[in-house]
This record gives sequence, C-alpha cells and structure tokens, in this order.
Amino acid sequence: MIAGLFTHPVNIDSGSGLLLMLPLLAAVAIVYKAIRVKDIRKLPKEVAVLMVYMVLGLVALGVGLWLVQEYWP
Amino acid sequence: MSKHTDKPRSNWLIAAFLAWIVPGAGHFYIGRRIRAVVIFVTIGATFWTGVAIGGVMTVDRRYEPWWFAAEMVTGVHGLVGWQRSRAEYNKLMREGRIEVEVPLGTSPKLAERMTVDAKLQDKALVAPADTIARAYSGVAGMLNLMCIFDAAVLSAMGLWGEGKRRAAAAEPGGGS
Repeated sequence: MIAGLFTHPVNIDSGSGLLLMLPLLAAVAIVYKAIRVKDIRKLPKEVAVLMVYMVLGLVALGVGLWLVQEYWP
Repeated sequence: MSKHTDKPRSNWLIAAFLAWIVPGAGHFYIGRRIRAVVIFVTIGATFWTGVAIGGVMTVDRRYEPWWFAAEMVTGVHGLVGWQRSRAEYNKLMREGRIEVEVPLGTSPKLAERMTVDAKLQDKALVAPADTIARAYSGVAGMLNLMCIFDAAVLSAMGLWGEGKRRAAAAEPGGGS
C-alpha cells in the first residue's frame, strides 16, 4: 500500500470518509490561526479551540439536517 | 532616525507572488518567519495528503477543471502534481488503444473519459476517494489563497515582522 501511495488511489469506505475530514479541519484551523493570531505562542491553544468549535458546529449541522430530513412532512 | 523605525520595505506584488509560488514564502518575505514555516508545512502536507489518497490523477485539468484551478493556487505543489498527471496521461495515450463499450447516446467527452479510465485501470480515481482527495488538494489551494491575500495586504500596509516588534517600535525612543 505504501508503495502505491501517490500513484494509485486508496480504497476508502464511506464510513472512514468522515473521519478523514478531521485532518482537513485541522489544516484549515492551523492556517487560519497562523495568519490571524496576534501572538504566535498562542497558536496551539487557539487552533485547538477553533477545531472544537468547528467539529461541534458540523455535528450540530449534521444533526439538524438529519432531523429535517427525518421529520419534515 | 531610530533603527527601530527603519523596517525593510517590501513590495506587495513580490509578497503575493512568493506566497503563491511557495506557500509561506510571502510571510517569510515580510518577516513573519514562524508563521511562514507553519503555513508551508500545513499547506504542503494537506496537498500531498490529497494526492496520496487519490493517486497520480488527483490533479486533473481535463475532467476536473474547477478542482484543478483550486489546486494550482498551491503554486509549486500544484505544478508538480499537474506535471506528474500529465506525464501519466501522455504515457497512456502513447500505448495501444483499448476498446471500451460505451452505451448508445454517450457524449464523446464521456466516452473519451471512459476510455481513459479503462486505460488507467487501478490508477483511475473513483468515489469516494476522488471527493476526499480533491477536497484535500483543493482546500490546500484555497487556504493558500487566503495566505496570498494576507501577505499582500500586510506588505501593502507597510507592516513587517511580528506584532510585538511593531509595538516596540512605536514606543518613544524605541524598544530594546
């Protein structure tokens, strides 16, 4: 599998696809805070806080959309 | 004139170009070195994680032009990815033809794509890997777009270095 990286696509089942979004969220949080944070020493803490907000927000959005599609007449 | 008010001049066009061609280089140019390293590592890792997931055809100008446009904003990363996928595509086109049965009424473009995918075989990118791979590489480009704007605006405003240095320079007599 390692030899095929960067040449062949990786087989991904639909369940692990959602988990793969977490590193992407981390990258977004890191780069956004890297350009916005006033004191660079506070970067790790601010990235962690932003990530928590993002994950909670996405979970809330997912739950909300599920409720709509489940119970909307 | 106090040496603390003599900050290096920077050109916003150069800052923007550097920020595009190598993610983080624009911030390095304007004196924000730690942020430059963080940006360089994060955007590079995000882009190449996408290519690792999706394989060599992740950067695909022919069939995914919008994702391709986003990937090109990563500068050298996108250009290298494009070069690799072009080399793979050209190699396939030089090989013998493979006859593929396409349904009646299939558009020529879709028929061509089906033929290319048949040649690619296990290198062809299908769901869900294609979405995730291009999300990684495309989002890396969009993040770099944000960094390009940031570096250009900071340079245009004449700001240089980290925040604490600017505050020290503003104090009467300058900082230590």
